[in-house]
Amino acid sequence: MQNDEVVWQIINHGFCSFKIKTTNQNFCRNEYNLTGLCNRSSCPLANSNYATVREEKGKCYLFVKTAERCHTPKLMWEKIELDKNYGKALEQIDQELEHWNKWMVHKAKQRLTKLRQMLIRIRRMKLQDLPELVPVKKKAERRERTREKKAEIAAHIEENIEKELLERLKMGTYTGIYNYNPKSFEKVMNQREIVSENEEEEEESEIEEEDDYEFVYDPNEIEEDEEELSEEENDMEDIKFSRPLPPEAKARKRVNLEIEYEEEDAAPSKQKVRDF
Amino acid sequence: MSIARPVVSVFNPDNAQELVGSVAAPGVFNAPIRLDIVQFVHANIAKNTRQAHGVSTEAGMQHSAESWHPGRAVARIPRVGGSGTNRSGQGAFGNQCRKGRMFAPLKTWRRWHRKVNVTQKRHAVASAVAATFQTPLVLARGHRIEQLPELPLVVDDRVEGIEKTKDAVAFLKRFGLYQDVQRVIDSKRTRAGKGKYRYNRFKFRRGPLIVIANDNPNLIRAVRNIPGVEVNNVHRLNLRLLAPGGNLGRLVIWTKSAFQALDGLFGSHRKVALEKSGYHLQRSVLSNADISRIINSNEIQSVLRPVRETAQVVRQKKNPLRNQRFREFLNPHAEVLRKSAQARAQEASKKRDQSIRKRRGLTAQDRTAEKARKKASATWIRNVWKQLDDAAERQDKGTLATQ
Repeated sequence: MQNDEVVWQIINHGFCSFKIKTTNQNFCRNEYNLTGLCNRSSCPLANSNYATVREEKGKCYLFVKTAERCHTPKLMWEKIELDKNYGKALEQIDQELEHWNKWMVHKAKQRLTKLRQMLIRIRRMKLQDLPELVPVKKKAERRERTREKKAEIAAHIEENIEKELLERLKMGTYTGIYNYNPKSFEKVMNQREIVSENEEEEEESEIEEEDDYEFVYDPNEIEEDEEELSEEENDMEDIKFSRPLPPEAKARKRVNLEIEYEEEDAAPSKQKVRDF
Repeated sequence: MSIARPVVSVFNPDNAQELVGSVAAPGVFNAPIRLDIVQFVHANIAKNTRQAHGVSTEAGMQHSAESWHPGRAVARIPRVGGSGTNRSGQGAFGNQCRKGRMFAPLKTWRRWHRKVNVTQKRHAVASAVAATFQTPLVLARGHRIEQLPELPLVVDDRVEGIEKTKDAVAFLKRFGLYQDVQRVIDSKRTRAGKGKYRYNRFKFRRGPLIVIANDNPNLIRAVRNIPGVEVNNVHRLNLRLLAPGGNLGRLVIWTKSAFQALDGLFGSHRKVALEKSGYHLQRSVLSNADISRIINSNEIQSVLRPVRETAQVVRQKKNPLRNQRFREFLNPHAEVLRKSAQARAQEASKKRDQSIRKRRGLTAQDRTAEKARKKASATWIRNVWKQLDDAAERQDKGTLATQ
């Protein structure tokens, strides 16, 4: 039987698979190590009488190794379950390691304390309902973002909304209309004209089509004569924004459509505008 | 010196729970484990399998290059002769030159092999074998032996009859050895470096070593394909297998006959080895290596002399002639001396005053008058200062008032 001292000399100066060297300190990766450091007194291999406290599934156990059992690796460590009560567990350690060297008993108790504190913390955290941290996958995120953008564009949301609204308009769902966005209104007007124009093509001559095409309603370009529009302007005096219609508009077919222009202060005024 | 030899159980290879018998441990069990010898022998023996290599003898020298000699504003290195090519005029031969030969071209007649003394080799093997019996050393080497029923693991000779790898694996699993094999399997990596394409592609750990006494090809073949597992004959124990890399503590499985043969092979501290002519097991330098235990034992402690008091540490030197307290510390009588000296001095001054007064013819009345005069003048001075202070104060107050 070789001595602990011999074993330590070989392990320390030779090779030990559990030793981890850092610049200041040496650590021991052996799972039965009491302190985690690579020391003559802490080494579970170099001490034939050794004891540790370890935790398994929330329970603390005292593992004891004696010289008598070191040649049967399977049975080497005696596993003693420690009491749930901290004070009783400390007493248990004292009992089991009664005539052992004080350092080891002390360290075992310290380790038990640390483990118990850790377990308490674990329990508390579980009850706390902490948000689960999930790592962000850069590649996936990047992909998703670009795909979202593309999908949004592909959906033609605005256009579909327009279509839907026009459908509803046709159906006659709307009694009154709030014409908020002038550009959309224009666009729609244009579209309608083209459509109606196509219908007229069969009936009417080409000249009128040209006239139709020329119509581009642009509130910024006010080319009409003021005199002609005076009537309309008077009507719209109370209203903040004035949208004088171009003279061509008057010549168009009249449509039974009431459009309400609503401003914050002013009362809605009704003005008959062309129908589609 | 001779430690009681333990008894080792022999297992039935088919059933890990069943013991077939027991054997007394061989003398090697108590051989001193000499890491230094093992490392030395291993390092030198490892050199013996090296194959000679060298650089071509003509490499870099196949030119008729000559130095141009000084006078042509170029370095003196030999230059390639001829013309009509870029190569002409370029430096040649030197190790610093492009396409030159290397410094000290490698020769095949380098001393590749090393001779090691036979006794040293035998000591090394004995140490390595002894180390395989020690659980902590086998653990430290990195083997997974947590499930092993016993160390050293001795198994009945029937194990040599295993023919199929399947059966061999089952045997290993039964005895908790497969954990170590699994470690080997998990460690398989492609080797870094040129060995990769020199038929040494993979690197992996060493697993259990099976030591047999009879060269039965069956077991060897069965176990050949299990990664990490190796077989050795006890009569030809190989240090490179017992202590790979010079690290003691390989996991070894002995067959019964192999284990029993160890006694004849190495002998013991009392017996000479039968199969190694004239070989005796090495004696350890210390029969009991636990030095701290020895020192603290009763036998020694009872005979030691008591611990000497350490010398007092002198701090700052204090001069007793000037430092009264230190003087008193050194000489307790100094206080008495000082006080008596003081008293004497007082006495003397009194006497002196008296004698002076006598000479001057001053009477007691004169003395009281003198005293009164002194007191009066002191009071007068005090008064003056007080008046000045008051005046100053009043002035300050007045100025303050005006402001």
